[in-house]
Amino acid sequence: MADGGNYYNEHDDRTAPQFRNRKGKGSNKGRSYDRSRRDRQRGSQSGGFGGPGPRSRLEDTDADVTMSDSSQDNSSQHRFNPYERSFRKGGDGRFERDRRQGKGGGGGRGGGRGGDRGGGGNGGGRSRSGWFKVTIPHGRKYDKKWLLPALQNICSVPFTAVQFYVDQNRVHFYVDESSVATALHKCTHKITDTDGYKVEVHVNPSAPPSFLLADLKPEHLEHLRQCMAKRFDGSQQALDLNNIRTDPDLVSQNIEVVLNRKTNMEAVMKIIEENIPELTGLNLSNNRIHKLDELTNLVTKAPNLKTLNLSHNELKSDRELEKVKGLKLVELWLNRNPLCDLFKDQASYISAVRQKFPRLLKLDGHDLPAPIGFDVETPTIIPPCKGSCFGSDEIKVLILQFLTQYYSIYDSGDRQPLLDAYHDGASLSLTTPYSTQNPSRSSLGEYHKDTRNLKRIKDSTVRFRLLKHTRLNVVAFLNELPKTQHDIASFNVDVNTFTNTLLSFTVSGVFKEVAVDGKSRESTMAFSRVFVTVPAGNSGLCIVNDQLFIRMATTEEIRRAFVAPAPTPSSSPVPTLTAPQQEMLTAFSQKSGMNLEWSQKCLLDNEWDFNKAAQVFTQLKTDGKIPEVAFTK
Amino acid sequence: TSVTVDFRTHVDQSCRYSEEFVNIYYDCMDKKRRNLTRLYLDKATLVWNGNAVSGQDALNEFFESLPSSEFQLQTLDCQPVHEQATQGQTTLLVVTGGTVKFEGNKQRFFNQNFLLTLQTEVQLI
Repeated sequence: MADGGNYYNEHDDRTAPQFRNRKGKGSNKGRSYDRSRRDRQRGSQSGGFGGPGPRSRLEDTDADVTMSDSSQDNSSQHRFNPYERSFRKGGDGRFERDRRQGKGGGGGRGGGRGGDRGGGGNGGGRSRSGWFKVTIPHGRKYDKKWLLPALQNICSVPFTAVQFYVDQNRVHFYVDESSVATALHKCTHKITDTDGYKVEVHVNPSAPPSFLLADLKPEHLEHLRQCMAKRFDGSQQALDLNNIRTDPDLVSQNIEVVLNRKTNMEAVMKIIEENIPELTGLNLSNNRIHKLDELTNLVTKAPNLKTLNLSHNELKSDRELEKVKGLKLVELWLNRNPLCDLFKDQASYISAVRQKFPRLLKLDGHDLPAPIGFDVETPTIIPPCKGSCFGSDEIKVLILQFLTQYYSIYDSGDRQPLLDAYHDGASLSLTTPYSTQNPSRSSLGEYHKDTRNLKRIKDSTVRFRLLKHTRLNVVAFLNELPKTQHDIASFNVDVNTFTNTLLSFTVSGVFKEVAVDGKSRESTMAFSRVFVTVPAGNSGLCIVNDQLFIRMATTEEIRRAFVAPAPTPSSSPVPTLTAPQQEMLTAFSQKSGMNLEWSQKCLLDNEWDFNKAAQVFTQLKTDGKIPEVAFTK
Repeated sequence: TSVTVDFRTHVDQSCRYSEEFVNIYYDCMDKKRRNLTRLYLDKATLVWNGNAVSGQDALNEFFESLPSSEFQLQTLDCQPVHEQATQGQTTLLVVTGGTVKFEGNKQRFFNQNFLLTLQTEVQLI
């Protein structure tokens, strides 16, 4: 066939004589839309599809035409009549654009449409892609085995429901013929369900169901890999994926690799990661790329990448580059992307790009002026975390002695004896992190009540009230707090300052809230407490200020805490987990989303039977019986 | 009686001071790192995740070497320190908490506390 029936114009097979004059093909509104957009952005005058130079040239070659022609007809992807299929396949640009718009579009935007292409009809108008999405608004409650036959029974046209799926309360499936769409549309409110309600059926034109579009089968992936291998220049460690979609090797195998599709790009990235992580140059030009999400991993998986060519794509904003900002690029090509037009001048363009890639020396083929000396290497290393800092051994002994005594009383169940630890004029206050959670459902609920956070509480009377003053008030307050068990072994102590009259230190660690009333759930919390003390009696300390900050412990903290068996007899021994149990715990935590503490509880309660625990969990979750704290990590 | 009133006033003032202080401190920390050491007394000690840093020079060096930061203060509390500990020098205990993101690192929680001696608004940590 002459190249009128070429790749992008197949749907106009019927109007072959118009092949050269793409303008004349304007009966397809998408085409004209397409063209104008491209022309504006790429400055290309090649009419018709208006793509960048190379693509137009390819279009004009017979070789390309022949291949694409035959491929379309024979492709295994295409199960339906050639006319419909070719229409759908007409130019991936439009294909993709359909998807973005969400609908194949009905109505004539650019002039009348030739014939009856999409079928048009009251099934929701025409569908450029030829597909329609059927939605049953409350379909979730129906058994698919009831619903589909019920529809088929009353639908005047037999149909196959493609990609049936549930989305919240709705049920969707796809059909690919307009006659079917129309017929189904007529079925609305014709079926009565077992509750007496009429089943609603909505039908709208839509983009093709996703499964058809995207995934590459394993054998395709292998071909892709080989194709990429051919395009890899080992001497330069550079990979050229320019316009990969038209690669003869792929096209001849009917493999469609379109890099602006997430799954296709992901597949390519994976192949790079697994085969050529040493990559230094990557050319992705001419691939209609509009997002760089899938390239983020390159930062870690191909850390040597220095040259990146993204020219002739559809990147709309320089913000896309944020996603690959970690790459230490020396050379970058961005020309012929919509984003280039956003900058008022060259200088701001260069500046914006350089901000993301400070080491850049070449942009769009031009050498950049040397960066104005700013220190590219800003420190990013923070000092390693060290353990306790006592300042001196004497003080260490003093403090440890004090803490041991203090916490043995604190954890004993009666905090009254702490009166001896506090000065008459002592002050105490408590702070918890701000939380929007319902306090009654939070394990920190008991503490939230009395939290003194000056960022949140502005009333001076309230602020005053929340500061417990004089030791009687202090200890009375402490006695009302839940029973605790501290992991003294895990305490970290930092001495803030000391003078003859003052010793101030900060203690941090974790503690468990002990369940007094037989409830099995225990929460682990982390605290940071500042003690300001004065010397007392014989080598003792007396507290004048006590500030306590409490939050939920992180998963890591819980894991590390209470490693040694707790000293007091009332505590339950920490079960040591076997390796398989550890694995099961990690898996259960990941799948359920619950933190390790709760996951372990669940597994324990169900005798480490993963499936049983999972069932119980799911049931409880559906019943809304699992508190939010179970999910805080 | 009068003692209580004084204490109440004391507490009120402390709260206000501490609010002002933390604004200045974290603003310096994030945006004018070099000015930060001015807030520390000569003999001040900073203990940072177990690393002890004393004296202006060491403090200067320490803060220079810390990556640039973005602190988000979420909790603040403050108590006047009992005079017995300070021998009459008005001192405040200020305790903060929130999140911080250091350049090149992921966001973390932080807790920090200060002992402020109100002479010329310098602090002793």
